[in-house]
Amino acid sequence: MRVQIALGAVFVASAIPKLVDPPAFAHMIYNYRLLPGTLVNALALVMPWIELLVGVLLVLGAWRREAALVAALLLVVFLGAIGWNLLRGHAIDCGCFDVRSAGKTPEQLLADMKWVMLRDVGLLLLAGQVLLATSPRFSARRMRV
Amino acid sequence: MARATNAGRVAVLLLAAAAAAAVSNLAASTSRKLAWVGNYPRAQQVEPETPAVAAATRPASAAPPAAPAPAAPSAGTVGVVDPELAQAFPPHPDKAAVEIAPADVERLYRKQMLFLDARRTSVYADGHIAGARNFPVWESDIDDRVKKLFEEGLDQRAPVVAYCSGGNCEDSHMLADKLYQVGFDNVLIYKDGFPDWQKRGLPVAKGANP
Repeated sequence: MRVQIALGAVFVASAIPKLVDPPAFAHMIYNYRLLPGTLVNALALVMPWIELLVGVLLVLGAWRREAALVAALLLVVFLGAIGWNLLRGHAIDCGCFDVRSAGKTPEQLLADMKWVMLRDVGLLLLAGQVLLATSPRFSARRMRV
Repeated sequence: MARATNAGRVAVLLLAAAAAAAVSNLAASTSRKLAWVGNYPRAQQVEPETPAVAAATRPASAAPPAAPAPAAPSAGTVGVVDPELAQAFPPHPDKAAVEIAPADVERLYRKQMLFLDARRTSVYADGHIAGARNFPVWESDIDDRVKKLFEEGLDQRAPVVAYCSGGNCEDSHMLADKLYQVGFDNVLIYKDGFPDWQKRGLPVAKGANP
């Protein structure tokens, strides 16, 4: 329960700055250099709302399994996007909790990206735990015990 | 109680997010609004350190329109360019933009060439090159602004200076691409941008107006 609330709170906190300033978030997505230009704005508009809804559902304990699944999928996408840029040495602000450029050097940004990946792995583990806790098999085994 | 994942609920969640995004974007102010379909030709290019002179492709349909009559010269607009300046900064129809040195920027400023600030409206209001006009490339009305600039009938071969925040900021290049697509052949990038301008103690203005 606590895990799910913590994960939900992180998603809500992450969504708010993106909702406040969609053009700045679009700029962040653009900086990843992964998406076709035509999709950048649409993703910048929709993704924060997905994060917000997932976060609110997790905090409220509603649709837990579905919310945790979407959270896990988002985290996998984030990990892939940051990991790919890290591999090709393209330094970016992750835009995770702040959509303004932090004005860091490329070296600082690359170091930050490694920490961001670690954090996302941690969050992915939390999402996995919620998924496990809401799994029918896991639940049936617990009932047998 | 634990249960299998309900795909319908996932779909509802995603659709609700899309609907909320649509409503929120409709209600947003101009500076917060986004066009749903972006127009970023270099979105998948990992730029080298100096991306400025990468040429944008000018669509055939947007080939340079017949040059309109130049407007009368006035502060901060492209008027009649003096021959010395025209020689120093010739048009470059083969590429969207060329980077220039800070000393050249100052020279163009003294000659009252048009300066365009590609940063966000709120950042522009906090401080900009005095006389520069705001063309925030990340805001939804940028194409309208470019169109209006085109309709002003300026000499499209005269130097226009675009700038943003310096460093890795690419907004001025994106603005140059847009201007190039409507026929402006002489956009010059002040790569070090506003931070350098401030550092050099040159004229700065605040607020929404140039």
